[in-house]
Amino acid sequence: MARPVLRRVGAAEEPRPRVAHLDRDRRLVEAAQRDPARFEALYRRYLAQVYSYAYYELGNHHDAEDATERTFLSALTNLHRFEERAQPADGEGASTFRVWLFRIARNAVANQRRSERRHPTAPLEAAPLVADPLDVEGRVQARDEAAAAWRAVGRLPGDRRRALVLRFVDEMSTAEIAGVLGRSEGAVRVLIHRALRAVARQLREEGS
Amino acid sequence: MTFAGRDALEVDALRTDRYLESLLAAHERRAADAPSDPDLDPAVRGAATRLGRDLVRLHPSFRFEERLATRLAQVAASMRLPAAAGAEGVTIGLLPPGLPDADVDPARDPADLDDPAGRADRSAPTATQAIPRPILIGGALTSAALSIAGAAWVAWRRSRPPQTRLD
Repeated sequence: MARPVLRRVGAAEEPRPRVAHLDRDRRLVEAAQRDPARFEALYRRYLAQVYSYAYYELGNHHDAEDATERTFLSALTNLHRFEERAQPADGEGASTFRVWLFRIARNAVANQRRSERRHPTAPLEAAPLVADPLDVEGRVQARDEAAAAWRAVGRLPGDRRRALVLRFVDEMSTAEIAGVLGRSEGAVRVLIHRALRAVARQLREEGS
Repeated sequence: MTFAGRDALEVDALRTDRYLESLLAAHERRAADAPSDPDLDPAVRGAATRLGRDLVRLHPSFRFEERLATRLAQVAASMRLPAAAGAEGVTIGLLPPGLPDADVDPARDPADLDDPAGRADRSAPTATQAIPRPILIGGALTSAALSIAGAAWVAWRRSRPPQTRLD
């Protein structure tokens, strides 16, 4: 069960401690823990994020769908085991539920990859999404550039690649990525910095 | 790496982190211009800008979304059965079709080549862990036991005439 996180704010002016709701998903999680049918709201909120993570890791829609399905089924049936452990340092708006969900997703993707030994490939279908559909030449160029960027990301070692996807695609904070990857925040910052330098080097070598 | 080198790396990493915060915040408010930081390595800044533009979030097909929503609703409904029928019920986990055998230990296999150090989270459930589909058996057993005990008591009473007469 989620525990309230108490923070004393301005003790002189406000003697009573204020309850800070650190996990933005707390109400939805508590509702789903009381009634599993209410899990749908969490599912709708995080479907695209989990699917995107799986897709960038596995490189094809079929495997990404499998991993996404396993992730949400496992989250639903294990939701009673979830405990919010938000820290004040996580800041307002952080979600420990999202971190927990992505740990499950990470395991699901690892299991999927282990079973197929598949490495990520360029998600070429994604490229047209960012281009103007009426600008054919621009669309081709955008597609090529997106493919080159993904090739550079796809060549990174596992945690560097995951950290970039979680940062750029799922827009997680450094603290959240640290929670998902099981590393310190400082280590994640260095991981991302090094990953960006490697991507820059790759793109320069490709002339892209 | 020397201490000075490590410090410099951490300072650069912190600067990159702050730049990414501002870059992603600019994306969120749909600002046209990327933020600038003259102290940041231009190569890192260029790569960050590029990935911010090219690594898009994807959405699965509507068909997949609705199919999975239906399946989750079915699993949720089966999870509500014990509470509805009686808390004394014992649940037995069954795998829904399409999932591999249960792996009760949530620990990740460190043999995964992408995670040679075995840093996988061990508190989060694995996606292949048993998906319990609860079956209520406790309530039925209790009812059956009560029925058998009742029948035995009636048989015993019939075999023994009352010791006191009412007349």
